[in-house]
Amino acid sequence: MPERLRQALPSVLSVLLALAVCWSLIALTMTPGTATAAYVEMLWGGIGNWPAWLNGAAATVITRPLGEAAMKAALLTLTGLSVAVAFKVGLFNIGAQGQMILGALAAAVVGAHVSLPAVLHIPAALVAAALAGAAWAGLAALLKLYRGVHEVISTIMLNWVALRLVDNWLVIGPLRGVAEGGQSITGTAEIQATATLPRLLGELSRLNLGFPLALLLAVVVWLWLERTRTGFETRAVGLGAEAARTAGVPVAKRTGVAMALAGAMAGLAGAVLVLGTEGRYPGTLGAPYGFDGIAIALIGNNHPLGAMGAALFFGVLRAGGTRMQLLDVHKSFPELIQGLALLFVAGRMVWLALLRRHEAAASVASVEVPRA
Amino acid sequence: MSLEDASLDVSEGELLAVVGENGAGKTSLMNVLYGLYQPDAGELSVGGQPVRFKSPRDAIARGIGMVHQHFMLVPTLTVAENVVLGREPTRRGLFDLERAISEVAATCARFGFQLEPRARVDTLTVGSQQKVEIVKALHRGAQVLVLDEPTAVLTPQESDELAQVMRGLVAQGRTVVLISHKLKEVLGVADRVAVMRRGRVVAEVRAAETTVGQLANLMVGEGPRHGTEARAPTSLAGLSPAASRVEAIGAALPEAAVPIPGGQVTTGMSALALMGGVPPGAATERPVPSSEGTGPTGTVALAITGGTPLEASSERAPATSAGEALLEASGLQAVGDNGRPALRGVDLTVRAGEIVGIAGVDGNGQRELAEVVTGLRALTSGSGTLLGGPLAGLTPAKARERGVGHVPEDRLRRAVVKALSVEENVALGRHTRPPFARGPWLDFAGRRERTLALLEAYDVRPPDPTLPLARLSGGNQQKVVVARELDAKPRLLVVVQPTRGLDIGAVAHVQAKLREARAHGAGVLLVSLDLEEVLALSDRVYVLFEGRVTGHFTRPDYDERELGRRMLGAGTGHA
Repeated sequence: MPERLRQALPSVLSVLLALAVCWSLIALTMTPGTATAAYVEMLWGGIGNWPAWLNGAAATVITRPLGEAAMKAALLTLTGLSVAVAFKVGLFNIGAQGQMILGALAAAVVGAHVSLPAVLHIPAALVAAALAGAAWAGLAALLKLYRGVHEVISTIMLNWVALRLVDNWLVIGPLRGVAEGGQSITGTAEIQATATLPRLLGELSRLNLGFPLALLLAVVVWLWLERTRTGFETRAVGLGAEAARTAGVPVAKRTGVAMALAGAMAGLAGAVLVLGTEGRYPGTLGAPYGFDGIAIALIGNNHPLGAMGAALFFGVLRAGGTRMQLLDVHKSFPELIQGLALLFVAGRMVWLALLRRHEAAASVASVEVPRA
Repeated sequence: MSLEDASLDVSEGELLAVVGENGAGKTSLMNVLYGLYQPDAGELSVGGQPVRFKSPRDAIARGIGMVHQHFMLVPTLTVAENVVLGREPTRRGLFDLERAISEVAATCARFGFQLEPRARVDTLTVGSQQKVEIVKALHRGAQVLVLDEPTAVLTPQESDELAQVMRGLVAQGRTVVLISHKLKEVLGVADRVAVMRRGRVVAEVRAAETTVGQLANLMVGEGPRHGTEARAPTSLAGLSPAASRVEAIGAALPEAAVPIPGGQVTTGMSALALMGGVPPGAATERPVPSSEGTGPTGTVALAITGGTPLEASSERAPATSAGEALLEASGLQAVGDNGRPALRGVDLTVRAGEIVGIAGVDGNGQRELAEVVTGLRALTSGSGTLLGGPLAGLTPAKARERGVGHVPEDRLRRAVVKALSVEENVALGRHTRPPFARGPWLDFAGRRERTLALLEAYDVRPPDPTLPLARLSGGNQQKVVVARELDAKPRLLVVVQPTRGLDIGAVAHVQAKLREARAHGAGVLLVSLDLEEVLALSDRVYVLFEGRVTGHFTRPDYDERELGRRMLGAGTGHA
């Protein structure tokens, strides 16, 4: 499918260019040998140290790094989906971070304060997180639809509201956990064992149910957008709201539903973080996966599967980034690569224009079909 | 395409009005004059000297100022700042506001404008903002001032004031070119009126010797129209649209109008002359397009031989036996986008098996009427029945369910989504029903099959359903829209400007499909600014003026003079 390939090409080129630029930076400040070695370390740190395993090391040299990469990829996939889904309906969701914070809190509360068997407890916590994220995004959608507030402004502001509300009040105030000895701890109470996402490989790695869940959701969202009536309506609204309205599509409803779905995805990212890795809502949520989601969605061309691919790639790089420290290379290089790739993708119009000019030279005549 | 061999000249100290229907080329002509468009052929001279404007900057340097329909002002700046913007007085490299204010005050005083230079533009009324635009042009030394539809946004009082301003400028030796389609107003203020039609200046008349009715006739043209318009013969496909239209005007010039005799009318010193379409040198004799229509440019107006006199009566037959009422409305009122009443009590009926045309000058409520019937605009008052349900509370989705098809005016905004594929656009609006959907899922196979069949039946090129719609030409896009709407077998089809901007082949195709829909028993509500199209297709015609029905004509009793008068408000006690 050449059209699909052409759509993906700018992203791939951007990532390769970012890799090359970062390699050059390391090579210039250290040595080219170090740069290459650091990249190799990063790779083994992300996909597992296969050579070591072949040399007889334990299987954990592969499963541990892969598990870490998968968990990062799961979070990036979910927040990337959040931004991508909003994009499909024509909204720029900068608020995935805030939606994720609310989702994480909801998962932590349900995980700690509700008692259910695991088959119900995990879904209940996940649904709570999705609803919390959806509600938070829904606020932005309502402001947009009924007050004309631009969603970029409202979601940015809602991020700060979420942060202050949760980190600066709820978590250190009403929802503060109490340790068994009676002394206070930071963050909310530990979630119950029944709410913990089961590890898929036992002690071999931290890989848990969150990863297949994220991948499944990416495929479901893609199928929904491409194959269903409502998904089609959502895309039509994003690409031509007035034409969609004329065609009888309920534009406000589609916009609201898509934005709520975006919030739900970000909320689920929070749940996966809390139920899978943290075990409770920590004092502060830390990693800004919500903001990473913007980069992931854009690098993935706002396509659910594209976002998933970008998330897998950067999950690997970022899991492996810590191994670069072995060579005195700072561990934040993977994030720098991600940032540069985003910058280059933002120039995708330039990429496409270059491609088009190249093609136009070949086929000027076939573009405009003469007359009816 | 919008200008074809148009010639015009204006003398110093004269107020020339340019009138014509929408799309007649008025604005294009003025844009050539202002350096926004470059003419393909022809010449432009100012004060007797040939000039060539590459940009508005050149035009301004030659003393031509333009006041656009949409103001080009910075709302948060003051009057003085807006006027000097682009050539600000400076003192030691910094903007000298005090000098700007005094200079602008001087210009205002000189031409008799009452404007406060320190006032912020966004605090001014629309009429005052327009004065700022005029002062801006004068401040830059404009000798020739072009005003494009200046009264479209003004209240009647402001319009009167503007008329005085224009007369005042002319009295001071400036030249004013006024573009308008408000004929009464034009006759009240202009010295001379140039009438444009289909890209040509078809007549120039002295305002004092002309009536509104005569001007209207000149604007819309008269003569043996039905049946002469070129339709669809595929053998014409290679010709440019303009070239294959039959001009049928000459015979229609009423006595009182003064057609230009062979050459230029030059009153006094020619301040500005514009000879369009004709290569310099060949322009000594300017043709008045006549029914023979042979111009010196090689644009041969074709007499269509074997051109099926389209209204071959068999095609028209179903009209007389129109069936049940599909749309019955009375007292419809609605508000336009600008917040003003656009429909002020419209009564109309559309029956099965007839094409009902809505004629009128642009902006008299036609667009809003179509939007009301398709559920896009809410009624503020009035009632009606549409296909068995109330007209009040209609939504686009309900309208579609009841069997309303819609070919909207603004194709790219309303009818299609450019970035979606051709087949997705074919499904748009019908994507919830077979063969486009099965339950909640889209039916790709059914959609593909139906799309291919439609592309074939409507001769859409290229017939590739997966192509993004944006890659099709405008005519082919419109065919996709018409194909989609007709394929839904609508009981009532609302079409607005269905052939605007299409080439002759596509025009014919679309018109033929509308007749076919009628033959199959659908009712068609046709809104078009092209009066010829309305008359050629419609069995009945309502004339809208200022949101009211001012005339109702039934084929074959189309008295075009009377129609033209009604379009301009005659017979209502309003004009």
